[in-house]
Amino acid sequence: MSTGEPHILHGANPYRRMLMPDAMSEVDFSASLGATELTSHRSLAAHRVLGTFYEAETILLPEQGLQDLRTDFDLFYGTDLRRLRESSLSDLEDFAFGFLDDEVDVTGAWTVEALDAYFQHAVAEADAGESPALTAITAARRPTVAADTYLVQLALDGLTEASAMSKNLGGAYGPEQSALFKIFIDEFGYGVHDAKHTTIFAKLLRSRSMASHVHAYWNFYLAAPLATNNYYYYVSRDHAKFFRYVGAVTYAERVFAPSFVKMIATYREVFGDDVDLHYADEHAHIDQHHGRITRDEVLLALAKRHGPGVIPELARGIAEARLLGSWFDEDTAAQIGWADTIGYHRELGLKAAAESDEGRRIDLAAGSPFGTRSHDRTTALVVADGELDLVTTATGEPDRMTRGDAVLIPSGRLYGLQAVSPTCTYEVRPIADQ
Amino acid sequence: MIDLRRHNTVLVGHERYFLFQTETRWRMVHDRCPHRGGPLSLARRTPDGRRLSCPWHGTKIGVAALCRTALPMVRSGDEATVVLPGTSQDAPVSVIRRRILANLPPDADAETDPTDCNSSTGSAQPH
Ligand code: FES
Repeated sequence: MSTGEPHILHGANPYRRMLMPDAMSEVDFSASLGATELTSHRSLAAHRVLGTFYEAETILLPEQGLQDLRTDFDLFYGTDLRRLRESSLSDLEDFAFGFLDDEVDVTGAWTVEALDAYFQHAVAEADAGESPALTAITAARRPTVAADTYLVQLALDGLTEASAMSKNLGGAYGPEQSALFKIFIDEFGYGVHDAKHTTIFAKLLRSRSMASHVHAYWNFYLAAPLATNNYYYYVSRDHAKFFRYVGAVTYAERVFAPSFVKMIATYREVFGDDVDLHYADEHAHIDQHHGRITRDEVLLALAKRHGPGVIPELARGIAEARLLGSWFDEDTAAQIGWADTIGYHRELGLKAAAESDEGRRIDLAAGSPFGTRSHDRTTALVVADGELDLVTTATGEPDRMTRGDAVLIPSGRLYGLQAVSPTCTYEVRPIADQ
Repeated sequence: MIDLRRHNTVLVGHERYFLFQTETRWRMVHDRCPHRGGPLSLARRTPDGRRLSCPWHGTKIGVAALCRTALPMVRSGDEATVVLPGTSQDAPVSVIRRRILANLPPDADAETDPTDCNSSTGSAQPH
């Protein structure tokens, strides 16, 4: 699962994901993530594994057929990995999401009316707010690359959309179950494959000449988007968290429509007519209905039926979705900003390298498996020998670096390296944060 | 939103509420002693920690009973959003304010226990 290929994109094989074994082995899994660490390398590493575990509970089949991938299919869904998953999943969830227990706290005497008032307040705030990621696209020196970076984050969910939701369709819980199912079947295009949301998302990617198979962009998913995607699995897998899931999905469905309206405006500004925004149009439209259905027929209906004992959990789900949504956006904006200003960070890197002690030396050979990582601390990367490419975006040109060049990598920023000369050596030096 | 590091009391109409911490949870509770309306935000806890001793005439108020007066509140990090009760029969059942101003000095200690600090009165006029 952790072996990779030299290409920066993953091939059409949903069973293999690059986990950067060296970077993974640095991670201390003993102390859980804190609320301020969601974009850290620890978080990235944990959420890559967690997301893979969750998806192993769904059906992933490659479009081109299983002929060449039967062995990988057997491994991915096989007993060994299943046992590993089952024995470590709950601990990994505690590691990755335990901080939410401290971070979000719901108190007081709640009523259905109070829940609705809180919900309306949260969405009004979201509607009025800016999206840092969309703002970063508009402000970028290379807006097209920045816009692609945002699409990559959406692809994480876009190509497997509503998979977490499917876990909440079974059982028997009355009209609210049927209401949730209506949303689910919309996402699935009423059984018409061409209308399925994942199909139209793939169309959007292809209109940008981007790959559209599941996890082609695995190496470029950021920690907070991974965490956001995993959160919906987290609260869906464990049915004790059902009411949190409902709060979260109601918030998400309600804020999607206006956020896609903003996205459409930004993408039209960047690409003109040169992009297929059917997916965004569809969400800007259908999510108005989904926002209403989830609020009226799921959230408030469950609150009325099951009473004050569950309302705080519904409120908590709203708060958690809001929090993760803001981290998704900020992490994406930060990555766009960093990838767009590599020249500036190279200058900072030279300065920082001159002031820091020698760090860890790492050799890289041409044709080595490609993977991306981040650091928990701000780090200077210095090329000690040879020539390499610094890769910070999936679709932009990489930055060539040769002996003596350096770059400052802010904590949490994702990057990958490819050797250009047959071998090269670079050094990583942690820098004391200012 | 309430910045918990700076604000701990709000006035809704003529009723005052304050942030009260038990274990790790914060609640926005009624700042009114059932005896004659004394400010429970200025009360001290009894040695067993289970009651507050009202600063006016010494009535002991159970923490559990006080918690039952809590307004619906969601805390997320340092922010808290409270659903405030309506102030007249005609007003909506609840309003939430984006910002609630309180008159604490800007450098008020974040860690201060509101049960024994000199919490200032805040003001939040209903919209
Ligand atoms: S007002 Fe509290 S004891 Fe009298």
